[in-house]
Amino acid sequence: MTAVVGPQAGPVTMIDEELSADLAGAALALARRFHAGATLWVLSPQWEPHSHHVAVEFVHPVIVGKRALPAVALVAADLVAETRIAVRPGDVVLAVAGADQAQVLDVMRRAPAWGVETMWIGYGDRPAAGAASHVLWVPSDDPMVPATGRFVLMYHLLWELTHVCFEHPGLLTVPDDDCTDEVCITCSDEGRLGEVVAPPAEEYAGALVRTATGEEYVDVTVVGDVVPGDLVIVHAGAALTRLEDSPQVGQWGPR
Amino acid sequence: MKFVDEFRDPAAARALVKSITELAGDDEFKFMEVCGGHTHTIYRHGIEHLLPANIELVHGPGCPVCVIPMGRIDDAMWLAEQPDVIFTTFGDMMRVPGSRGSLLDAKARGADVRFVYSPLDSVKIAIDNPDQHVVFFAVGFETTVPSTAVTLMRAKALGLTNFSVFSNHVTIVPPMKAILESPDLRLSGFLGPGHVSTVVGTHPYRFVPEVYGKPVVVAGFEPLDILQSVYMLLEQHRDGRCEVENQYARVVRPEGNVAALKLMGQTFQLRPHFEWRGLGFISQSALRVHDDFADFDAEVRFSMPGVRVADPKACQCGEVLKGAIKPWECKVFGTACTPETPIGTCMVSPEGACAAYYNFGRLHRETAQMVGQGAVGQGAGV
Repeated sequence: MTAVVGPQAGPVTMIDEELSADLAGAALALARRFHAGATLWVLSPQWEPHSHHVAVEFVHPVIVGKRALPAVALVAADLVAETRIAVRPGDVVLAVAGADQAQVLDVMRRAPAWGVETMWIGYGDRPAAGAASHVLWVPSDDPMVPATGRFVLMYHLLWELTHVCFEHPGLLTVPDDDCTDEVCITCSDEGRLGEVVAPPAEEYAGALVRTATGEEYVDVTVVGDVVPGDLVIVHAGAALTRLEDSPQVGQWGPR
Repeated sequence: MKFVDEFRDPAAARALVKSITELAGDDEFKFMEVCGGHTHTIYRHGIEHLLPANIELVHGPGCPVCVIPMGRIDDAMWLAEQPDVIFTTFGDMMRVPGSRGSLLDAKARGADVRFVYSPLDSVKIAIDNPDQHVVFFAVGFETTVPSTAVTLMRAKALGLTNFSVFSNHVTIVPPMKAILESPDLRLSGFLGPGHVSTVVGTHPYRFVPEVYGKPVVVAGFEPLDILQSVYMLLEQHRDGRCEVENQYARVVRPEGNVAALKLMGQTFQLRPHFEWRGLGFISQSALRVHDDFADFDAEVRFSMPGVRVADPKACQCGEVLKGAIKPWECKVFGTACTPETPIGTCMVSPEGACAAYYNFGRLHRETAQMVGQGAVGQGAGV
């Protein structure tokens, strides 16, 4: 637990017990992804300097002897398009943003189709449960949070803990059981998220769809016309449904 | 065994577990999931161990591979061994034992058995092999039926004469009804299937609260989805409500996929009755190829033996499928029946309750509960 004295209100717990656990989990996931060859892609549409700061933090380690880790800040106007092109399966996307950022929400909901792990640092109202794989949230409504160093502390710790994981190579090896998540198509009620790359080129052809495991042709007869960027659920070579366009729909919400 | 820190958004999961524990209080709850994917998630992520002991998750007949009776497997093997037949199926059916072994055994004996990812792949095989007849062994709930329906439409449009479907598609509502009629199982509610509901929607489950007074929550497949769905079921109990709710709203629409349902209606029709392994014959619980597509119906084109075969005496898949016993309570679980040498179908499919439990859930429940609570109490390592 990290505490400092605030300017007016006395001690402020910067990283409480819950957040410590989340940071540790995120760092382990990040270390495992880096170990497997991932690149970290960072977005911060409201506070662009944070995205550069995170990328620099990982690429240029401040501690001598720590390895440089591939990290890139994404700063294009259309962050969804830029992320779509940049990421490969196995990569990690880290957003430093408020929960209301439409582009970030859209990136997060598409991420499973791109095969990337997601992390989200922010403050104030939390995003819907499950919006990202790891949600590292400052429980404060103070609008100055992004400028007070709490985010910086968070991603500095993330960086440092990631390197702590590297010091324990045994942690980096994912057990075989976890790698081979064997499922059967029929009985698992399998449905994989896919993003349409190109609609069918001719009659009886499938749409080209990007999923976490690569690109494949998928029959779209029962979902009708599709356009690039549509999200579909794929089962046994066919798209079962097309997800709603609104990024607000589609998170882990109860209703 | 996995704990909350490996869930998506662990903080949200922790909060849900806490809320569930508070909401459940001292009452006893028994919720059944009827989807193999849910069973897999529950065991793989140790969700049962995170829930308080007074909430029991019962694993119903959600795996269509597990409910196919041995006689149908024997018919499939008979088909596969016919001259000039290429027999195609999903990989999960290859190891399912009939009375004379499995399709893998038939393949080893020389039958041309191929596994496919999509039924449409079978059509390609038929086009590439015009001198042979290609049979697709169709298995699955409503999730899988649309792709077989598209395949039938495609085969007809292409004018194929060397392709047929051996349909063993089943539907989800009749077995739910059969379970609700079962006197030895007192359920508090259902976790409704996720992707089946993508096709059929949420309306078909209305009879569960209306007739049987049990709530249903259609659930997604992440551990967080399962926890949230359990929470929603408990909320209904607390509020005195009993209805169908949709936790998986990011994917499932109340009306389902209307186009898929229409296509299914054109290509399939309900069988008067169908045998379910462990559940016996259930009326209107399975689909056969529609009369309009009789040329593509393997059961019309071939005179299959169609012999009913009793389950091995030692096998208690039936009780497991009904949720009457837990997998580990079966007499042969983990000894004579393992994923390597399955006796019952529940041990064959990774989503079968026995295989899922064998692979992920063998840690003693009470021990795991103790470990999980200790970890939760410490805050870290959860």
